[in-house]
Amino acid sequence: MNLSSKPIVQVENIGMSFDATRALDNVDFDFYPGEIMALVGANGAGKSTLIKIICGYHSGYEGRILIDGREALISCPKDAYDFGIQTVHQIINQGVIQSMTVAENLALEELLSPDQPMFYDYKGIRKRAAEIAALMDLDYLDLDAPVFTIPQSDRQMISIARALASDPKLLILDEPTSSISEKEAERLFVTLKKLRDGGVSIVYVSHRLHEITRLADRVGVLRDGKNAGLLEKPFSVKNIVHSMVGDINHEPVKKEDVKADLSSVKFEARGIIVEEGGKPVDIKVHEGEILGITGLIGAGKSELAQVFFGINRPYSGKMFLKGNPYEPADIKEAIRHGVFMIPEDRSNNAVFPNFNIRQNIVAPFLDNFSNGLSIMNTGKERQEARRMIDSMTIKCESEEASIDSLSGGNQQKVVVARWLMVEPQLIILDEPFQGVDVKSRNEIGKYLRENIGRSGAIIIATDIDEVVDVADRVVVFNSGMIVGEQIAGEINKDKLIHWTAQAPEEILSSE
Amino acid sequence: MANVKVREFSIKWGFLIVMGVLFISFSILQPAFYSAGNLFNVLLSVCIFGTMTLGETFVLIIDGMDLSIGSTAAITVMISAYSMVVLQLSGVAAIIIVLLLGAAIGLFISFLIVKVKIPDLLATLGMMFLVQGLQLIPSGGLSIGTGAVLGNGKVAQGHFDEGFKYLGQGRVFKVIPIPVLIMIVIALLVYVILSRTKYGRIFYAIGGNPEAARLVGVNVNKYKVIAYVSSSVIASLAGILLAARVGRGDVGSQGTLLMDAIAAALIGYAVLGVRKPNPFGTILGAIFIGMLMNGLTMLSMQYFWQDFIKGCVLVAALAFTFGLSKKR
Repeated sequence: MNLSSKPIVQVENIGMSFDATRALDNVDFDFYPGEIMALVGANGAGKSTLIKIICGYHSGYEGRILIDGREALISCPKDAYDFGIQTVHQIINQGVIQSMTVAENLALEELLSPDQPMFYDYKGIRKRAAEIAALMDLDYLDLDAPVFTIPQSDRQMISIARALASDPKLLILDEPTSSISEKEAERLFVTLKKLRDGGVSIVYVSHRLHEITRLADRVGVLRDGKNAGLLEKPFSVKNIVHSMVGDINHEPVKKEDVKADLSSVKFEARGIIVEEGGKPVDIKVHEGEILGITGLIGAGKSELAQVFFGINRPYSGKMFLKGNPYEPADIKEAIRHGVFMIPEDRSNNAVFPNFNIRQNIVAPFLDNFSNGLSIMNTGKERQEARRMIDSMTIKCESEEASIDSLSGGNQQKVVVARWLMVEPQLIILDEPFQGVDVKSRNEIGKYLRENIGRSGAIIIATDIDEVVDVADRVVVFNSGMIVGEQIAGEINKDKLIHWTAQAPEEILSSE
Repeated sequence: MANVKVREFSIKWGFLIVMGVLFISFSILQPAFYSAGNLFNVLLSVCIFGTMTLGETFVLIIDGMDLSIGSTAAITVMISAYSMVVLQLSGVAAIIIVLLLGAAIGLFISFLIVKVKIPDLLATLGMMFLVQGLQLIPSGGLSIGTGAVLGNGKVAQGHFDEGFKYLGQGRVFKVIPIPVLIMIVIALLVYVILSRTKYGRIFYAIGGNPEAARLVGVNVNKYKVIAYVSSSVIASLAGILLAARVGRGDVGSQGTLLMDAIAAALIGYAVLGVRKPNPFGTILGAIFIGMLMNGLTMLSMQYFWQDFIKGCVLVAALAFTFGLSKKR
């Protein structure tokens, strides 16, 4: 790397808002030729927004982009492309056209170029495709196979090969290893290093911090839409995470606040294997206990929750509720047993946009509000909704206000209220603080702790702080298994961070 | 500020005001319009597709679309005629047969949508075609009436049951037509189900966010089946009313029933600015179409203008519903 050289692409004071949400605020980065710059940040930190601005997907941003020192107007993907900026997006199937062949996908640029003859030049396309395939050692691919017949990982390699084919100045890779095998990842790393040495500037976005420590020359950190650090070599997983999460001014649960009754087990999962080939997981939740589960995205946390809530049947293993076998065939049965789940991604999975606050709150328990003829008792609904709005301090005009009129944090409170209206046996909260402001987050956490009573709760979050602030006990998931456990009062965040990010074999061998 | 208020007011009341103005204008321009007899004529003219559109409402609420209801009504006409005129069955038997047939069509559509996973619009388009063709087969492509010569040379001996015909032609107290009464009863029933019961709440929940509905324990597929079966059965019921009114099995009986029914439901979105399928708006939408056709005909509009006018009304109502409210 040669930092004395001039940056090839600079972004200055970049800002972007979506409605009331400030996605990016005054962000600066310089990208130099011949370096791999990793871009990291928690979910919602603004990584994707920044990338989408650079590659021309979002127009209407604030600030400016300089290319080779001159201001460049990038208002559509074609502009970025003409400036030599190539992007491989995270969602693989957006990068390939599934109905076309491998050759056509590889040589897509040529195929769609206006210079193509009027009649399809099969041989020419195929020849060009073979050249592009060779860049990434993809010679084993059948050039005539339609892309929908080949594995996801090969599709990803095709996107990357195509991006490389146009000799980009700046190559952006968004989570490129999230769906390819380790061996393929190794091959990708070799290629990336070769490109870097050839003078290409590479922006590498990933949640896999151990990859970054190996591959990157510098690490840029985003937090809450702002620059939060620029790390130089040598970096460790620990200091990267510290920059991502920031100084911790939260209050983890204290030992004396733990009210769990450790003598009585509320819920137990014994040897649960979510999918064939997975590893068995054992989990216990006691009466009055809030168990936190943390781990990186893809560690298998949500998949486990889905088994507990009856969405999927486990491949093997047993579950018990208050000592009795618990085998929910579907969600309805889980709910009947008093096992509730607040799903991640509120707007897609939980909110009914056409319903008002009252209707959103009572949705799971309509039977409690209807008579023998199934006629709804709106008065009773309003009363209950009012009670939950007051006790959870949901800020709204009235229980009849539309759900859209609420802030993200208050919408989340509505979704939580929905499941705390009736006393649960076990309540699972999957990423309950996504898109929730700090104040609402604290209020929800506090409410849960104060009202847990004799129920059990599982709170799942990628962000360690979100778990530590609420849970009596924390377990860490990594690659589909539990790699460590800590209890309130004895929380060591550094250790938790290491557990989430290191390869599981290393953790287990070092313990 | 004033602008916002004007917009909100027109979103809420605009449709009803237009309807009221039309009603008054027709009454002034053509006093015969404003007579009990004629007003019942208006209702009579809308009650068949008006009934159908009430069934369609279930499907629209779960964010689906059923294009097969016109064909289902048509096959009901043919099969009820075939049952009584050719097979010489009783009126009651004919009614049971066609209602079961309607349920079977609804079940098959649900199967295509839920199990085979064909998108609803395409599944019901396919079924529209299939059922429309199927209705011609029993009679060999001919209309069925007493004395009709069938494909095999036999003469149909049976006739329409008098009780059956009463459903289409009778009047309570010699004033209120039976089919209008039936439409009103079904409308009230559908209104209570959709607006007052937990089932209605579940239908609207599925329409709003099917994944969220699934995650609060709703069996979404079960409710899809119920919606499509309701739609088909109610379409059959409308077919019974139609057969009873004409008293024979006409091969071309479906006419513009499907289009009228869907237009009525979509116009219904604009009523009171609710922007969602609702039985009250649906019925008003149907009556609006009927009133407009009746009034314009009385003012000597020629028949070939009808579809054009209906189309204009539909496009205007949709622009009103979606265009105005978008700016909110």
